[in-house]
Amino acid sequence: MLEPVNISIQSLNLVTLAPMLIAIVGALSIIVIDLVKGGLDKSLYVMLTVLFLFLDLGAIFNFIETVSANGTLLGFFDVILIDGLAILSQLIIVGASIIFIPLSLTSKRFHEYNYPEYYALFLFMIAGFQFMVASDNLILIFVGLETASLALYALIAMHNREKSFEAAVKYFTMGALAAGFYSFSSMVFYALTGSIEINQIAAVLAADGYANIGYVLVAVIFMLASLGFKLSLVPFHTWTPDVYEGSSAALAGYMSIVPKIAAFVVAMRLFEFLIHSGVVWLEIVLYAAVVLTMTAANIWALVQKDVKRMLAYSSISHAGFAMAAILIGTTQSNSALFLYWILFVFTNLGAFTMLWVSRQKTLLPGQSSDHPYEKFAGMVKTMPLAATMMALFMLSLAGIPPFGIFWGKLYLIGSAVSAEYPMLALIMALNSAIAGYYYLKLIIYMFMKEPIDNASSSSYMLNASLPLKTIIGLAALATIFSVAMVNPLMEFITAMVYNSGY
Amino acid sequence: MLDNILTILIFFPALAAMLGFVVEKGSIRAFGVSVATVEFVLSLALWYAYDPSVVGMQFMESMPLIPAFGINYLLGIDAISLFIIVLATFITLIGIATLGEVKNIKNMIITLLFLEMTMIGVFSALDAIVFYVFWELSLVPMLYLIGAWGGPKRIYASIKFFLYTFTGSLIMLVGMLFMAYFYYQATGAWSFSILEWYRLVLPENLQLWLFVAFFMGFAIKVPMFPFHTWLPYAHGQAPTIGSVILAAILLKMGTYAFVRFSLPMFPDAAVFFMIPIAIIAIIMIIYTAMVAYAQEDIKQVVAYSSVSHMGVIILGTFALNVEGITGSVFLMIAHGVVSGALFFLVGVIYDRRHTKMMSEFGGLAHVMPRYATIFGVMMMASVGLPLTINFIGEFLSLLGFYKQSHILTLLAGTAIIVGAIYMLTAYKKAFFGEVTNEKNKNLPDVNKREMFALIPLVIITIWLGIYPKPVLEPINNSVEAIVSLMNEKAITQEAKNRIPDPMAAKVSTPHGGTH
Repeated sequence: MLEPVNISIQSLNLVTLAPMLIAIVGALSIIVIDLVKGGLDKSLYVMLTVLFLFLDLGAIFNFIETVSANGTLLGFFDVILIDGLAILSQLIIVGASIIFIPLSLTSKRFHEYNYPEYYALFLFMIAGFQFMVASDNLILIFVGLETASLALYALIAMHNREKSFEAAVKYFTMGALAAGFYSFSSMVFYALTGSIEINQIAAVLAADGYANIGYVLVAVIFMLASLGFKLSLVPFHTWTPDVYEGSSAALAGYMSIVPKIAAFVVAMRLFEFLIHSGVVWLEIVLYAAVVLTMTAANIWALVQKDVKRMLAYSSISHAGFAMAAILIGTTQSNSALFLYWILFVFTNLGAFTMLWVSRQKTLLPGQSSDHPYEKFAGMVKTMPLAATMMALFMLSLAGIPPFGIFWGKLYLIGSAVSAEYPMLALIMALNSAIAGYYYLKLIIYMFMKEPIDNASSSSYMLNASLPLKTIIGLAALATIFSVAMVNPLMEFITAMVYNSGY
Repeated sequence: MLDNILTILIFFPALAAMLGFVVEKGSIRAFGVSVATVEFVLSLALWYAYDPSVVGMQFMESMPLIPAFGINYLLGIDAISLFIIVLATFITLIGIATLGEVKNIKNMIITLLFLEMTMIGVFSALDAIVFYVFWELSLVPMLYLIGAWGGPKRIYASIKFFLYTFTGSLIMLVGMLFMAYFYYQATGAWSFSILEWYRLVLPENLQLWLFVAFFMGFAIKVPMFPFHTWLPYAHGQAPTIGSVILAAILLKMGTYAFVRFSLPMFPDAAVFFMIPIAIIAIIMIIYTAMVAYAQEDIKQVVAYSSVSHMGVIILGTFALNVEGITGSVFLMIAHGVVSGALFFLVGVIYDRRHTKMMSEFGGLAHVMPRYATIFGVMMMASVGLPLTINFIGEFLSLLGFYKQSHILTLLAGTAIIVGAIYMLTAYKKAFFGEVTNEKNKNLPDVNKREMFALIPLVIITIWLGIYPKPVLEPINNSVEAIVSLMNEKAITQEAKNRIPDPMAAKVSTPHGGTH
């Protein structure tokens, strides 16, 4: 006869679920509000979403003190794991969402923003990402990943253009493949170790001295492929430019940041112990992926004719950069990853918002995409301030000091140097030099070419509204004065990462 | 106020540039001139307050920027940077004051003021990252100057300029990070302070690698053969003011950085690479002189001759003794004045005829006597005629290197003399003979505004050529400090021999007198 299961509510530690629950409750209440009274304006939903996200943020802040004192916090049958990594990445996820969702307050009407479901899906997606980073249980990570991805596919398709459907289906197919890889890899890990907790897997593998190295290799390769799809590592990146092109610029910018930081945290949890296991080929596989991602994406970006596609390739290359931090695997490099990503949030936010405000409803005559380089020709003559902003974000992406991403790059290359990876440091530096060219290309179009005939000064700001302009201003300020926030951020991040044992 | 004078010098033009956006288009020129004048007066005040008898850095300022990573806002100057700063503010002033009719003059003046900020920042930074920030930032205004106001191939030229220097400096950045890391290993704390790096003695093989990493950044900036190909393009396409500032100040960043970073930080590597670099420098002198001879565009002649003289500066720097380095630093100033003036002069004729082809000219001395005179003086200075400013620098540089290698110095010296041929030929083609081209018959001579730029340059050229002491002596003191540091730090015996201790020489002189 089975023993009756007795679980005290106390031991569940339900508070660890609070951040995700807030997002889910938010999503549900938006749907309920729509049921009670339809036809409400999008501004209401946007503001509600922002409010719930602020509550979410507050719940995460709550953990900081406990975690800095005790290290980690377990909850809900010990599948939820709140440590420094979880806190940092949730702060980035929720923070970035707060500044991205007001991008739907455009002056032009886009039909997806009038559906309350859009905001509900958005909040479900955030909850999914939060589950993904706040666990070291392979199954819960998988559930979070799929929740978030399914919501994201729908969000892309809601843009309701032919290219958006193509993008959503493409992303969905690739995502399904990645999910298959993920579950296969988890299965192998489970078969090898009898556990689905990452720290248990690490302990068992270490205990038997990586005896079944062949199987571990299979599991790692499949895991790398699956996360590679989410992180858009070469050669699993093929969907990225098409999906970015098909989605609205706002969502593309969002996709270049939030899903990736969630995947980085999973990668960090999984690969870190493997790299430190002393098995050389694990390192070689990752090394190859990192170098290939940085370099190949940069070279493809050189030949793009559309700014959004260029930014898509550039975000692949930046992902390669951040992946290098995981390869290096020291506390310094893992902290550098978070610093890099926070600075990247502001700059990329600015760049994609600039594209978003210049979005026209129909394509200009003679253009095959929304944002060809030619569209920006001579922008400095018609809209000097907007052109300067755009140039600022490009310079930051190129890593010109003293703008945002430079400090991330500095710290990341610095961590490569201090972990005795001189070749990697050099490759990263040379890649920054290659990347300089395509960011420069846009600046050259804006500042040194003559305007095209049919562009009136307003065509760059068609979509701009006060909230959007505020966001651009915020991003620009954060990019210019980033040097002031690097030190406090660095101290906080390092403490958090160190506390989690990475 | 003098405590923060360097910060004021750096950020005053930047602040003015931002306010410049508000100034109305018609009044922007007056605004630019006033700002540049204030800046120039401030730099003169800096010179006045500078105490040449003090060894080491003066007007130091320090503020933590990213203390967790050892990055501080650390400024300070010695005589080597002092005079380049004064030169930078001076050239910017006369550059803005004599701007011709250009489109978008407001944007240009704002760009020039930003550029002034970055130049002064580079020469007064004592923290490697602060140095790097200004070093990279200086590329952006220059890119815009060339790309927006340049000739027909301006976009190609500006990208080439940007990418070359950007690539080099990223390799240098990796070098800086390694240096900071080695400092961390030795002391347990990260630091990017150049002064603290000076105290770090590295084993020779590390020195060699780091020297190469820094060399990539500096050599492309100078530019040294074979990385010089971006420069003629940049000069060829840049507007007059762009060429003037590029030749007079921006190229000096490279040679200055050799003196500030490479020599005192890696003395053994400097000795190791001395002969190869000297050979590159001599190739630079001879090869670019030959290329200059074959040019038909008068601006290209000046551009190549400017590269050629940068070779002499490098040679002097890598003499690794007080005479050579003092000479090369002095030659940096001289080169700034003379090649700046030559580019101004080319700009004067270009404004009138909108061509730079020498075949279009001839007999200009009849039509424009004052122009021909000033051009003549500057050309003589450029070929190193005694009693002009260039002569002192070249002479000291060669004298310094003569102590290291007789043959190479002889070769370089001959090359400089032979190099005079192309300048004289160019001058003859343009100024003497009959006025063959109808269009040249009625060209107006140099006007007042242009005189304002050129006369002070002529005065400096001759004044410092005859009486260089007020500049030479402070430089000499600062260089002695660097050379004695190098001597003290050198590990290998060969390096000790190659780098004579200036202090020892000083002590022994009175003894020599008593015998």
